Amino acid sequence: MIRPLAGMARVGMRFQFAYRSDVIMSVVALVAQVFLLRMVWTSLYSGRESDPRGLTLEALLAYLSLANLQAFVTTPIIPMIAHFRIRTGTVFFDLSRPTGYLPQMAAFQAGHTAGGLLMLAPAIPVVLLVGTITPTEHPIGYAATLALGYVISVMMSLLICVIGFWTLETGAISLLYRLVSHFFAGTMVPLSFFPGALGVLADALPFKYMGYVPAAVYVGQLSGGQIGRAVAVEIGWIAALAGVLWAIWRRAHHKVVIQGG
Amino acid sequence: MIRVESLTKVFRRPHTFSGPLGPLRTLLTRRYDERTAVDGVSFEISAGEIVGYLGPNGAGKSTTVKMLTGILTPTSGLIEVDGRVPWRDREANARAVGVVFGQRSQLWWDLPLIDSLRLVGDLYDVPAARFAGSLRRMCDLLGLDDFLQTPVRQLSLGQRMRGDLAAAMLYDPPILYLDEPTVGLDVMAKQAVREFIAETNRLGRTTVVLTTHDLADVEALCERIILIDKGRVLYDGGIDDLVTAYAPPRRLVVELADDETRTFEIAAGRPIPELIAQVAAEHPIRDLSIREPDLEGVITRIYAESER
Repeated sequence: MIRPLAGMARVGMRFQFAYRSDVIMSVVALVAQVFLLRMVWTSLYSGRESDPRGLTLEALLAYLSLANLQAFVTTPIIPMIAHFRIRTGTVFFDLSRPTGYLPQMAAFQAGHTAGGLLMLAPAIPVVLLVGTITPTEHPIGYAATLALGYVISVMMSLLICVIGFWTLETGAISLLYRLVSHFFAGTMVPLSFFPGALGVLADALPFKYMGYVPAAVYVGQLSGGQIGRAVAVEIGWIAALAGVLWAIWRRAHHKVVIQGG
Repeated sequence: MIRVESLTKVFRRPHTFSGPLGPLRTLLTRRYDERTAVDGVSFEISAGEIVGYLGPNGAGKSTTVKMLTGILTPTSGLIEVDGRVPWRDREANARAVGVVFGQRSQLWWDLPLIDSLRLVGDLYDVPAARFAGSLRRMCDLLGLDDFLQTPVRQLSLGQRMRGDLAAAMLYDPPILYLDEPTVGLDVMAKQAVREFIAETNRLGRTTVVLTTHDLADVEALCERIILIDKGRVLYDGGIDDLVTAYAPPRRLVVELADDETRTFEIAAGRPIPELIAQVAAEHPIRDLSIREPDLEGVITRIYAESER
């Protein structure tokens, strides 16, 4: 079981590096986004030490830089891959392998993410510098919440891949998912700034574990028991998503249509 | 090795409405249209056979192949591949079959060919030494060495097809399904593919099910064909028997002195010299030839009869 998944992960990583211009543009885009967010938030904070929620400008910049770095590395590619392969019928080959479709896709994503980390390595010092990110007081809590948040992100992406077996077209859903997940992950505005009902909604959805929660742990906005609770809820989300994926995948098998003759 | 009985596949899709609000109605409708792609097909294929599975576009060939691989679940009927029901025992079935589609590729478009081949070795857990041996054999048979490190997107169609054939056979499956493997290839590439299939069948006793529109593939490789149309089997047997049973009459093609060409059917049992003498008495002949019925003519005739 390990070798097939390692093979898919290797292909996912190689895929990340297939186009050099993409690699360069991605690094430039990440650094530019962090710079722009720094400019906007520095302007909004002008003359104030911290906002009413007690978040200093320095902590906010560190949070935003980290959240964007995380989002950039962990944004899933598999909905796009599945979309293309279902549309062209090449998903036939994925389904005809002795290894399951979902483990193949998850392994591909893991390899792609690892490739993304390598790709962004040159940009990380710049982001850390621009974001004035200093070492965290909760390294284990940060690693745990980030790793579990990543698993949630991959499982949500797998759900979109499976939905493609019904709709045959996941382009719009993928785009919507990307927008919604980035917004509710708090990559542009920390969730603690979300007003009223929007804040309640953001708190109830799982997207915050992909950005806000690990970044907030890193900068010290969440600590102690809050970290423990976040980890427990993440594990709960993973269990729930695993159940939903299992149930939907069983039905998806019977919905398979391979496009074209 | 392969047993198919009363196999049927019905596809169900939302009814398509026309008119200004058609797309919206199509999106919301609970009305469905059904199309029978495969309709009660039965056949058996023994180990080591190369069988041509032929039919016009939309006849149900590819749908049958997809059910044989276990990817599609039949609406009714039975399939057994080496004693297994493909869609119930997908994993074991996957290890026993190789598949090549001429119209789509299992190779990763953006990566060098070798990456896709290594991935196949990993997915089928082929031991390293066996993989190296298989890869060397594929490189020798298909001449892959020159483009192993080339991204698939930069390969010619013929090179890509050779890569696909290698990917399908790297783990030595005893059964190979080939769906239009020579479509779009030039004469040399077609010949290379045919030689590979014949060699694979001869050396490894690989059972081959070949669907194609190129009857030269069939004549070069198959002793038996299964003809289907509209999801039903029209003929199952040897090529020679098919030609004998369904052959249209031989034809006498006459080139006349005024450059006109005329064709006369040679009725069964009629002596040819007698027909030539009759034609020569009525027309000044410059040249003549006799056209024997070919497989294409035979199959065209069967399809035409099934249309009636």
